[in-house]
Amino acid sequence: MWVLGFAAPEIASSVRAGQFVNIGMRTGMLLRRPFSVYRAGAGRIEVVLKAVGAGTAQMLAMREGEVASCLGPLGRGFDLSRTAKTVALISGGLGVAPMPLAARDARAAGLHVTWVHGARTADELCSETDGDEVILATDDGSTGFAGTAVSAAPEAGLVLACGPNRMLAAVAQRWPQAQVAVETFMGCGTGVCLGCAVPLMRGGYDRACTEGPVYVASEVEWRALPSHLSYAVRA
Amino acid sequence: MTPDLSVDVGGLQLRGPVLAASGTFGYGTEVPLLERRSLGGMVSKGIFLKPRAGTPPPRIAETPSGMLNAIGLQGPGVDALIRDYAPQWAAWDFPVLVNINGESASEYAELAARLDGVPGVAGLEINISCPNVEQGGMYFGNDPRAAAAVTEAVRARTKLPVWVKLTPMVSDIGVIARAVEAAGADALSAVNTFVGMSMDLNAYQPRLSFRTGGLSGPAIRPLAVHLAHQAARAVDIPVVGVGGIMRAEDALEFLVAGCRAVQVGTATFVNPNAIAEVHDGIAAFMAAKGFASLSDLPRYLPRD
Repeated sequence: MWVLGFAAPEIASSVRAGQFVNIGMRTGMLLRRPFSVYRAGAGRIEVVLKAVGAGTAQMLAMREGEVASCLGPLGRGFDLSRTAKTVALISGGLGVAPMPLAARDARAAGLHVTWVHGARTADELCSETDGDEVILATDDGSTGFAGTAVSAAPEAGLVLACGPNRMLAAVAQRWPQAQVAVETFMGCGTGVCLGCAVPLMRGGYDRACTEGPVYVASEVEWRALPSHLSYAVRA
Repeated sequence: MTPDLSVDVGGLQLRGPVLAASGTFGYGTEVPLLERRSLGGMVSKGIFLKPRAGTPPPRIAETPSGMLNAIGLQGPGVDALIRDYAPQWAAWDFPVLVNINGESASEYAELAARLDGVPGVAGLEINISCPNVEQGGMYFGNDPRAAAAVTEAVRARTKLPVWVKLTPMVSDIGVIARAVEAAGADALSAVNTFVGMSMDLNAYQPRLSFRTGGLSGPAIRPLAVHLAHQAARAVDIPVVGVGGIMRAEDALEFLVAGCRAVQVGTATFVNPNAIAEVHDGIAAFMAAKGFASLSDLPRYLPRD
């Protein structure tokens, strides 16, 4: 997992937890790539990524001073205005991405923050978790709770989650009112291509880039949302 | 001297030759970052009589220098379009064409009748070329008789300018172009996306849920320039070139190949201000070459 920082003062000063930027390169990949904003401040934004495909590999090959196009902040972020005393942030793998800002904003709203972070193994855990309380979970039990982040999470007044869609489906089972940031393939990020369709329980689709990427968990038709996005051949 | 980029395309006076292509600009109320002064016109997302949910995800996949899409013409239906969008278009300083779709010639005709005379609707673009619907779409576009029948049915029910968007998935685009010209089309849009497929090597199945999708982007540009050129050679009505235009030079290739105007699509996904940059680049080219207006631009259009 890598952190990339960009000088982007307008985005840094206005982004809310759960919103994203769509990053484009001049050469190589055609389409932009969407990333939740990881941290923001002092005129900079950060995103986290793994080399999952050719586009992210190209981004990781960037050197300091190179320029990329950051379009944002885009989408609807987490809603922290609901009355609650405690919040559980549940992240799986790269689902850590929106959580530092969520922790920041939740703390500013006076909430007690428990961050539950899970990954397959200890090696894949993010080391930058933060909160009044941090619970780590690994599928193989190599660190912390042996099992998923969802099963390790405590009850809380507010639940915010991000991770693979199958993890979010499990969140929806346990907390139908949780706010979850979904993962989809995305084209424009601005609402016109309709490529980032999210199937809804009430029927039809809306756009992760515009109405999302944060949804109330019970509103998403999880069986129709691809459970894993395939960017490159996996071993 | 600022070159005159205005053009007359199939009954519409455009202030510039660059339009937004259907399905890449929504209903014109999205894409806030575009400098609209340079927008010659806009073609709406394709509409049916009734609302349509569209296809399940995944709907898009990036491919080398291009992308596949299978959106399935998701849309709110014509009633909502007339109620929610047309009144906004009526106040805009560029014309909006509505891209119309149906499963039968009579559905296209019904749509044409519904949209005729609606303030804000400046023209119709008949979509007989969508590769991503089970019924209609491309199946009208690769048969000259069916293409002509749809065009005639629409022509009979509207006084609006009628453009016809052609599919590239034909053995001779000139045959289709002549058929719809004879049936009353005012202009042609050439071309829609090519049918393509890409496989997911983890799931061992297509990357798109619809299995196939329409290929767009720079990958198709030389193919599209050739087909637009063939169409332009076949007919006397104007041809609007579309396919993989990312920058001004790409648009100029279509214009030199015989097109009267162009549409920019996938580029807007990548760069929300692409249309303005293409427009400004055409103006800069004209000025550098000493052309006062687009009619001075040499066209390569031999008539055999």
